[in-house]
Order: sequence, then structure tokens, then C-alpha cells
Amino acid sequence: MRLRPAPVVAVAGIALLALAVPLLPLDNPTRMDIAHRLAGPSAAHWLGQDEYGRDVLTRLLWGARVSLSVAAASSGIACLLGILLGLMGGFLRGIVEVLTVRSMDVVLCFPPLLLALLVVTLLGPGAGTLIPVLAVLYLPGFVRVVYAGVLTVRSQDYVEAVRALGAGPVRIMGRTILPNIAGPVLVQFSLAAASAVVLESGLSFLGLGVVPPAPSWGLMIGAARSTMTQSPLLLLWPCAALTLTILAMNALCDALRDAVDPHGVPPRRRGAVRLPALLPGLVPDRGSALELRNLTVAIDTPRGPIHPVRDVSLRVAPGETLAVVGESGSGKSLTGLAVLGLLPPVARIEQGAAFVEGREVLRLPEPARRSLRGGAMAMIFQDPLSSLNPVHRIGDQIAEGLTAHARTRQSAHRLRQRVVDLLTRVGIPDPAARARAYPHELSGGMRQRAMIAMAIANDPRVLIADEPTTALDVTIQAQVLTLLGDLRRERGMGVVFITHSLPVVAEIADRVAVMYAGEIVEQGPAATVFARPLHPYTSALLASAPREDGGLPDGIPGTVPLPHELPPGCAFAPRCRHRIPACDAQRPALVEAGEDHTSRCLRWRELA
Amino acid sequence: MTAAPPPLLVAEGVTRRFGARGLFTRARPVQAVTDVSLSLGRGETVGLVGESGSGKSTLGRMLLGLLPPSEGQVWFDGVDLARATPAERRVLRRRMQIVFQDPHSSLDPRRTIGAQIADGPTIHALVPPAERRAQVEALLGQVGLAPMHADRYPHEFSGGQRQRIGIARALATNPEFLVADEPVSALDVSVQAQVLALLADLRSRFGLALLFISHDLAVVRSLCDRVVVLYLGRVMESGPVAQVLEAPRHPYTQALLSAAPSLEASRRRTRILLQGDPPSPSAPPSGCVFRTRCPVAMPACAETVPALVDGVACLRVGEGGVRV
Repeated sequence: MRLRPAPVVAVAGIALLALAVPLLPLDNPTRMDIAHRLAGPSAAHWLGQDEYGRDVLTRLLWGARVSLSVAAASSGIACLLGILLGLMGGFLRGIVEVLTVRSMDVVLCFPPLLLALLVVTLLGPGAGTLIPVLAVLYLPGFVRVVYAGVLTVRSQDYVEAVRALGAGPVRIMGRTILPNIAGPVLVQFSLAAASAVVLESGLSFLGLGVVPPAPSWGLMIGAARSTMTQSPLLLLWPCAALTLTILAMNALCDALRDAVDPHGVPPRRRGAVRLPALLPGLVPDRGSALELRNLTVAIDTPRGPIHPVRDVSLRVAPGETLAVVGESGSGKSLTGLAVLGLLPPVARIEQGAAFVEGREVLRLPEPARRSLRGGAMAMIFQDPLSSLNPVHRIGDQIAEGLTAHARTRQSAHRLRQRVVDLLTRVGIPDPAARARAYPHELSGGMRQRAMIAMAIANDPRVLIADEPTTALDVTIQAQVLTLLGDLRRERGMGVVFITHSLPVVAEIADRVAVMYAGEIVEQGPAATVFARPLHPYTSALLASAPREDGGLPDGIPGTVPLPHELPPGCAFAPRCRHRIPACDAQRPALVEAGEDHTSRCLRWRELA
Repeated sequence: MTAAPPPLLVAEGVTRRFGARGLFTRARPVQAVTDVSLSLGRGETVGLVGESGSGKSTLGRMLLGLLPPSEGQVWFDGVDLARATPAERRVLRRRMQIVFQDPHSSLDPRRTIGAQIADGPTIHALVPPAERRAQVEALLGQVGLAPMHADRYPHEFSGGQRQRIGIARALATNPEFLVADEPVSALDVSVQAQVLALLADLRSRFGLALLFISHDLAVVRSLCDRVVVLYLGRVMESGPVAQVLEAPRHPYTQALLSAAPSLEASRRRTRILLQGDPPSPSAPPSGCVFRTRCPVAMPACAETVPALVDGVACLRVGEGGVRV
């Protein structure tokens, strides 16, 4: 957890100053000097004197002590109690949940000011009364934060794991759950403390808090208000102190939240990086639906750019399926996203060209690319639930794609008819009714069909399918694969099918490109590559697939290298059985190893 | 000749319903598992196969006593899990363990993996505190990791390594029965094979009874002795792996096998394409739960729930081997 230092220093400074007040060479904060009432700043009294001639600086510092200790004590008590109640309510559930969490809802229903008034009337004003009042006010917040955290964490497998190990509830709550919800609780604490400072001042201002002559920022503001016309500066000091303290505490909240958030702060997108112009001699292959040449994607990191996709060239003919296969971290998804111009903000295209039916698309301005997406190029994703908009009906989402790319306005009736036709085509039963359904009302397989309907709505020339069946059950996967195959033949689309599953590739692909650690290591007709792999990674991958004869498959030792720690030579060398010293010397080039068959291995001849 | 030893684990007519509690909900209860009986001998590996919503994870948790069955009983080494005293239950906890699917959520992100592996032995006071470190290091060695890894946090490991850590944690209490809930589904194939080999090795080395839950028939084939096929919470077919996967008799098993994509062209049989989606477990079809998608369903299938006879629950299986 990395915390920005500035807010921590500011809050710690304020707190230390308040703690050190009795040690500082200051006046008694209640010593009056009526002769110099409302005197301006002087060498003896840096900030001047108030309506009783008391030193404003002294009172300000002593007031900080009161304000901060009331805030810290009340939010501290609320925090501890809240953790206790929230943990019990969230973990034990049942009647405990009703008693702890639901009872807090009752407190929330009570107007805070009314509660404060009531307690102060009963117990009399003073700092001692403020602490329990504020603690009760902040308690529900803590209980709810802890309770929500517990509900999230308790469903995690690691909680189930310690339960399976035989741990009792106290051990699970204290050792496993509490550390995992500490982040949000800490943020809630800093929020509560900051707001307690404000509330303390407010209540004191109203005369419900600290009793005069004890110093407090709220009291000082209240008193300065009556002499505002004579000495406006008096109002400024406590207000400034209050504002600065709150600002520092809020900045600390932000810093804490950022440090606790595991996703971190998304980096800002830098100004558009211009791609170098195309070489004049570069002529696209007219016969391809999609042709990708030497694509390199870079991500800028503090340690310099890394390249998760390097020098990738692909070609898909109309009506052909090219499978891009690789394990996680191979760069296969980034390649697909780069072609469509959908790279995440951290990544940028460093070099390369992509031709869709002979037209370069990587250098197109954004509006032109937008009309290409969902038009000539379409994409379907692994998880249709997160790629469909949950608040719009399926039919409306498909219609939106149709209208966005339509040249002329279409009547609502005609549009509806086209949506129903599309849903019928992808095999959704009762299409007219399903068009009115929301994504969550459909099963996973139906959602993927709806996604496909959306993708083919404008008759794309290229369909990029990123693991479209990985989240589906095998029987549903078989349905979707069959559908995709039919559509490809029927419409002559070029399909780029990104997957990690070799058996799926064997079933559907005409050609296959095997990716490893960001580069293509082998490419060729699927049948040839599977029968006669010319790269050791392809052979090893084939040997890793579960075997049909019941034997245990061979794994590949080690793991895929990360893009920032690539070996100097062949990226696969450290895991390769055929490694020779030359493999580590330099990165092998992709060589033509046969008819339409390329391999990035120095020893491909010996493997053949 | 001696009689066969009694099975380590026996489940009898286990059923589990979820939901339908609370004052204002009138939702139908979801019957996740219905009337499942199965047994597992020492050192035996049983594969539990089914698609999402088939109730395989729920069944696994009931066999471990982490979830009480709504009906039916589970005996572990002769002790009824539901009637065990707290002391007995403590001991049972030590003897059975679980390995999870998701290598990212199965480890506590805030504690070192050494501390997590040591949890079991600490809770059950199996090892004196002075020897804990040595035991953790030995376990890490057994799953193919280095002793120095004990002081690292989960995020410093890859998915495959995390899965090994999860296995080490489960082995730390010397269990006799291990439920592996889709342990390789979230891993890349090259790593999948490593973890499968590790499980096979540990199973034979420690004589573990292993319940291997998976949706991938090919993976089950490589590891299991027997297989149980679930659909919508009910057993469709069960038997030795060779028999069920090579000569499936239930139409669902046949469809499942034919739907799985295959590397070997010769194995690519004519595909039985099941129509539609599995029905919702809150409103299962009457009679045979598979009949709505079954290519050979007949009117009688809607009326009687087929009993599991000779390892198959299908009314039409008697008709000289239904082959679709």
C-alpha cells in the first residue's frame, strides 16, 4: 500500500501541534485583558486579541486540541463499536444481524441535530457530552461499511478454506476477515473524523458543545460573529483553521482510498501518439478481409515502454476463420482490440498497419474508426453479460447499432422487423418477445447469441471473436460454434477467433496463428500446424491438452515470461526442450517453413 | 479372501434446497442437489462431472460437511456428519480438505502464504510451533515450490503457483479425503497439466480419496477411476471412467461427450447438438429432468422420474442400448 506523503504530513503536523500545545510558551487561553479587547495583531499577540482581550493564537491552538480530541475520540469509539457490531452481524447473520445492523437503521432515521439537542438537554453541554453523541451519530456508518465488507469477503474462497481447516468463528473474523476490510474502515474513519471536527464546531457555535470560557473553534466563530463589524479578522482565524484542517483530512481520505483501492489510479491518457506514416511501397493484399502487418503495441511504464504485442502480422480471407491461440499473457486479446481501436488507455500502437478490405484503419481519425466498428468490423467478447448494457432491452441495443450505421432513417416498424430477423437468424426462440428482454433475463448462451446478432447486424467483413465460448458450458459452446461457422459461410465474413483452447481451434479454424509472450511463433493452415507443428511451443501446447486415451498430459515447465522481463533471445527458450546456446543469442525471425507455414524457431528444420 | 474394506465416505439420498426463506420472498426454493447417493473408497478418485447449475460444487461442500444437506446423510469413516459432536467434527475437519477453482480468491491477500499453509496445523495443534516453519517448507517442496516462497504474499505468484499453494494448504493437515473443485479450470493448459500431474502424484503418495469436480470430461478421463455425471442436481449416469466415457449409455452423457471439441479428427463423432438451455433449477421439468433437451424423449419421460439402475437413470436405456 503506497500512500501519498503530503496529506499524511499535513494531518500529522496538525495533530502534533495540538498535542504539543501545553508545552508551547503560550498564555493561559482564558486569561482576560479587557483593556485591549479587540486589539489587532501585535508582536505579543500575533493574531490579535478577542472581545475579552484573550490571545487569539493561544485560543486557536487550545481550540484545536478540543476539536481534534473530540473528533478522534468520538470516531474512534464509533469505529471500534462499529467493527464489532458489523463483524458479528455480517458473519453470524440471523438474529444477530437484525440486532446489530438493522438497529443501526433506526439510528439513521433519527435527525442528528435533534438527537444532539436531546442528549445535551438531558446531560448538559460540554466536551464530555459531545463525544458519546457524535459516536452514536457515526456508529451506523461504521457498522454498514464493516457489514458490507464482511458480506463481500465472507463469500471468498479463502474464508471457506479456513473454515474447512477447522477454524472457529472468532479466529475467522479476527484473523481472516478483519485484515481484509481494514482499508474501507480506515477510509471511513478519516471521513468520520473530518466530519466530527465540523460538527463539533457547529454544535459549539449553537451553544450545545463546549462551554465557555473553554476555547473551541465553534465558540470562537460564534463570539466573533457578534463583533464582526468591528473586528472582521477575528472571524477569519478560526474559520481558516477549520478549513485547513478539514482540507488536510479530506486529502488524507483521498490518499487512503487510492492506496487501499487494489486497482490503483488509472493513468491519464497521454496526448495522441502519431503513428509513423505508411511506407510508400506498402500495398495491401486486395483479397484479404483483414490484413495486419507488423503490429506492435506498447505500454509506457515508469521503467520504460514494454511491448505486450510485438511484430504481429496476420491475414484473413473472406469466409475464412483464423484462430489466434495462446495462453494468458500471450497478447492475443490486445491484438484484437488494437485492430478495432479499442485498446485500454494505457496501451498505444507503436507501429504497424491494418487493412480492412484494402483500407488502412489504424491511422484513421476516431470518427471514421467509429463508423468502421460495428460496421465493417465487429467484435464479440467472452462475457456477454458485461458487454451488454444491463439497463437497455436486447432489441433496443441491436437497433441502436443498426441506426448508428444506417445511411437513411428507417421506420420504427422496419427497424423492429430487422431486429427480429437478426434474433431469428442467431437461433433465439420466440425472437419478438426476447427483443423486449433485458440482458439479465437471458441465459449465458442466449446472451452470447444476442451479442452475435448485434455484431452481424451491419454485415461486417471482419468479425473478431475474443474467447466467445470460454464462459459457456460445452453443450452451449457447441451450439455457438456451429452458429458462428454457419454465419461465416453464409455471409463470407473473415473471422478472427481468439482462444486458448486447442480443441476448439481444431474444430473450427481454417488457419491458425500461435502466439507466445506477445509474438506469433507459428502460423499456417490448421490441419498442417496440428499434424506437423514446426515450433516447439506448438508441440508442447498440443502435448499439454488433456489426452483422449486417458493418460496424463505433459505440462510445460515454468511460466510465460512477463513483458518487462523477456529473455534476450527466443522468448520460449527458458521452457524449451530443444534449446541450444544460439537460442539465447538473439530473437529468431519468423521464417517461411513451408507453403503458407511460418515458424519462429531456429531449429524448425530439425523438428520437421 | 477378506471382505472389501468399507468405503471412507458414503452419501445416502443427499438433497439440498436453497432459498425460499424470509418473510417477504415468495420465490420457489432452488433444489440444487436431489437424491444423490455415492461412495468413495480410500485412495479412490471419483470425477463429478456436470455443467454449470448441475449442483456439483454444492454436493462437494455437503460431502465435506461445510453445508448441511436438507435431506439424506453423509458418513465419513462411519461417523454421521450431521450427528457428530463438536469434538468429533474438529477431528473430521482435519481429515478432509478442499482445493478451490479460482486461484485468486482462494488465498487471503493480506497474509503470507507460509502463514496460510500453517493455519491448519496451528488450529489442530498438529505440529509444535518450533517445527511449523520446517513443515511449511517441506510442504512447499512437495508441491514444487521453494522454501523461500513462504514469506511472500499471494499476489507475487502466478495462477498455477497459487493453485499449488492451495494444494499445500489442504495437505498440511494430512487429510484422507480431498475435494478438488475445478482445480485446473482457471489455468492455462500448459500449467493445467502440471497441476494435474501434481494431484495424481500426491494422491498415490498419500493414498488420498479424491473427489474431482470438473466440467471437462477429458481432464476427468486422465485422473479418475470412477465418474458421476450430474444434470440439474440429479445423477444421470455413474460408473468406471472407461465404461462411462467410452460407451456412454445415458443420452445426456452421449451429448456431453460429443459436444466437447476434440483435437483428434477421428474422435470427432457426429455431433449431437442439444437444443436450448438447461432449465432453471427453481422450476425443473417433471419426470426426467433432461427430457426437455433429450433427443430421444418420449411421453413417459414426463411422468416418471427414472431411477438409477445399473448406473444409468434413463427410461429408454433398456431398449437395447439407445444410441442417438
